[in-house]
Amino acid sequence: MQRFDAAVIGAGVLGCFAARELSRYKIDTVLFEAREDVCTGVTRANTAVVYPGYDHKPGTLKAEMTVRANASFNRLCEELDVPFSRCGSLMLSYGQKADEVLRKKLRQGLVNGVPGLRLLSPEETYAMEPGLAPGLSTALYSPSAGTVNPWQLGIAACENAVQNGVQLRLNTRVIAMHADAGGFVLETDRGTFAVKAVLNCAGLASDVVQELLFPSAVHIVPTAGDYLVLDRACAQMPARIIEYEPEDGTKGLTAVPTVEGSLLLGTTERINTVCYATEESGISEVKAMAVRLFPGLDCNDVIRSFAAVRPNPMSRNGKDINSFCIEHPAKLFWSLIGIKTPGLTCARELGFYLAGRLAEEMAAEANSQFDPVRHGIRSVRGLSFVERESLVRQNSDYGEIICFCEDITRAEVLEAIRRGAVTVDGVKRRIGTGMGRCQGARCGQKIAAMLSEQLGISESAVMKDGPGSVIVRAGHEKL
Amino acid sequence: MRSCKLLIVGAGAAGMSAALSAWEAGCRDIILADRASRPGGILHQCIHEGFGRRESGSELTGPEYAAMLAGKLERSGVTFLPDTDVLSVEADKTAVCSGKSGLERICFEQIILASGCRERTIGSLPVAGTRPAGIFTAGQAQELINLRHLDPGNEVLILGSGDLGMIMARRFTLEGRHVIAVLEQEAQYGGMARNFHRCIEAFSIPLRCRMTIKQIHGENRICGVTAEHIDSGEREFIACDTLVTALGLIPERELCCKGVEGEKWLYLAGNCRKVHDIVDSAAADGERIGKMAASGFYM
Ligand SMILES: Cc1cc2nc3c(=O)[nH]c(=O)nc-3n(C[C@H](O)[C@H](O)[C@H](O)COP(=O)(O)OP(=O)(O)OC[C@H]3O[C@@H](n4cnc5c(N)ncnc54)[C@H](O)[C@@H]3O)c2cc1C
Ligand SMILES: Cc1cc2nc3c(=O)[nH]c(=O)nc-3n(C[C@H](O)[C@H](O)[C@H](O)COP(=O)(O)OP(=O)(O)OC[C@H]3O[C@@H](n4cnc5c(N)ncnc54)[C@H](O)[C@@H]3O)c2cc1C
Repeated sequence: MQRFDAAVIGAGVLGCFAARELSRYKIDTVLFEAREDVCTGVTRANTAVVYPGYDHKPGTLKAEMTVRANASFNRLCEELDVPFSRCGSLMLSYGQKADEVLRKKLRQGLVNGVPGLRLLSPEETYAMEPGLAPGLSTALYSPSAGTVNPWQLGIAACENAVQNGVQLRLNTRVIAMHADAGGFVLETDRGTFAVKAVLNCAGLASDVVQELLFPSAVHIVPTAGDYLVLDRACAQMPARIIEYEPEDGTKGLTAVPTVEGSLLLGTTERINTVCYATEESGISEVKAMAVRLFPGLDCNDVIRSFAAVRPNPMSRNGKDINSFCIEHPAKLFWSLIGIKTPGLTCARELGFYLAGRLAEEMAAEANSQFDPVRHGIRSVRGLSFVERESLVRQNSDYGEIICFCEDITRAEVLEAIRRGAVTVDGVKRRIGTGMGRCQGARCGQKIAAMLSEQLGISESAVMKDGPGSVIVRAGHEKL
Repeated sequence: MRSCKLLIVGAGAAGMSAALSAWEAGCRDIILADRASRPGGILHQCIHEGFGRRESGSELTGPEYAAMLAGKLERSGVTFLPDTDVLSVEADKTAVCSGKSGLERICFEQIILASGCRERTIGSLPVAGTRPAGIFTAGQAQELINLRHLDPGNEVLILGSGDLGMIMARRFTLEGRHVIAVLEQEAQYGGMARNFHRCIEAFSIPLRCRMTIKQIHGENRICGVTAEHIDSGEREFIACDTLVTALGLIPERELCCKGVEGEKWLYLAGNCRKVHDIVDSAAADGERIGKMAASGFYM
């Protein structure tokens, strides 16, 4: 049996930050992830917005955390070397009802301490975003809103956690738990672990994981939503995040100019039947709404669609729960259950909070060796000629382009694999290969070949994403 | 900094033809750059016959046709730069090139972009469902089978009956794989009649017209699609473990987008200018543009 002070269950963005924040203390931590890689769950498919904090009632934990998290996001992203764009946001109103909503959000935001929040006239708004549909009544401008790539943030937190001593155990699912005198015993499909404390960050399964040992007052009812991604060359690319909730109360639209340069459009809300599968009605709903909002938008610029799954927390009597559910069923056992929006924004804050509480309970000392700085994978994109030239001179692999659409080199792919990518999509999540116009049609197999070479497995054993996602068949490698 | 009179980006049929005709027209200072290690472009993976009817009078395979042009190229004084990716073309008439040997600027007087085309992918269609493994563009599948000798799958559904879709239907069949059908949204196949007879009819592959797909099924590897009969709206599930999309080609012109579009020293040739069905016309286009660029020096 292996022993640790603390176990974090689930390596989504929340678990990765919980582990990273725990490593600020002298707490020997193991991070369990059921999948072959980190950040493949809810963290992989969401709206990617770093919210300013006007959506939540003053005085709530959500409001406080969101405003604080937003204010420190530049520093966090500098520490973790992750691109962050504080592009600001505009919430639009095309009618009286929405005017009222915006006024309420403005009041709320001002009380919450959201900086720079103000209502704009239609003229001011069109001057900022000329592509918007006519007929605007007003817009709520929030300069502090921003966007980050969610899985890159999570991966960075995980790398930083590991750098500070956390042990990451991939392909390790916690399947049973029991309490004993020393704390908790966790059965996984890769052996038994004895720990003093547990942080349950199992995302969509967080209620079930808590129920392995304690009852859970909260349970998760998933719903799904559909998204579209448009090429960076698309017309009408807004400079800011655009949010719109129609008068008729139907689900609105959020348009996000992402850090990668593409335009993300979402989302719908529907009963979840199949995980991560989009629905036709959802896609056309998003398209219709997008064209209504940006009349010049060309849907031929769509390069991808994807579905997200929301882990909606509900009480046992079927009521939606609006606050962050931080459960504490016993000393040294904490669960984050059904953390949805703004969970990405607040990932570090939630981790910091949990780690602090746990450290208190364990009377743990601070880890004076903790280093908050993580270095990202050096990329050639956006470098000046001189910088890029010197990089190629140091390492000729920086001269060979693998992903033509996104300008990503062999050196970057090799580094992504060295840092833990074991699938084609794992490489994509780390450096963005295959995210562009051709959607990996040209680089996918080159990357599969590199994975096969670096990991010492046959090309037929290289997966696109999770287990079973075979790209080329085994058995008869040579046709 | 290296310099030349004429820089050509892309050594496919069009780029090679442009280089040769410019050389013949008297331009003696030509660099032909390609990101690949050998000239030929897309021709290498087109191992079927049907190329170069005009040039050679007979039907060559893609690699044979490429070899014919490459031979002429070698005998000329055109400088071929392999493994060189042209990253950008600047308004000051320089091109930034990247390769294992370093990053360099090549300064030119005129430039021809013969960078070919890329394929439209499934992502651009309003198809719902998952995006599992087992979905390939036709060109990708062609590369896997013909150049990498890998096996993309057994039960193959092909979407799109352009030349590429039909050629791949035959290719999979010849490899002993089962092509379930070729689906086509129009009332008739999209490619050339010759390819229909040789690839579809000759192998009795079902061509199902006025059909498209609406949804993809499968969590990890594709297990089937929901197909729709466009006229009746009727739907059916078609099981497959491989989906090959032949949805058309898009000229690869990203290099001329950044502030150099419309410059008179910049030419487009071959599939980069407009998608050509047959190599002869891509090559002829290259030839014409090469001559035009060369004459530009004496005007
Ligand atoms: C549609 C949508 C849009 C959103 N938009 C935004 C936004 O714009 N801004 C924002 O701030 N927030 C947003 N959020 C919220 C944010 O995405 C989530 O709060 C956050 O990603 C949750 O991360 P997680 O770590 O809890 O979940 P996950 O990423 O799902 O991680 C959980 C992990 O636990 C693992 N696991 C499960 N069970 C076990 C087990 N037994 N043993 C080991 N491992 C296990 C899973 O494999 C998984 O990797 C959005 C959410 C959704 C759904
Ligand atoms: C799959 C397929 C099957 C076909 N089948 C037939 C057939 O049966 N019969 C027939 O007659 N015709 C056929 N054709 C048509 C014909 O082969 C093509 O039209 C012709 O070969 C295109 O030539 P090209 O030079 O324009 O493009 P390509 O051959 O695509 O050449 C473009 C070259 O540019 C290079 N390049 C691109 N960008 C850069 C950059 N930034 N830096 C450096 N290098 C770059 C590429 O590496 C490539 O070598 C087929 C075409 C395809 C795609």
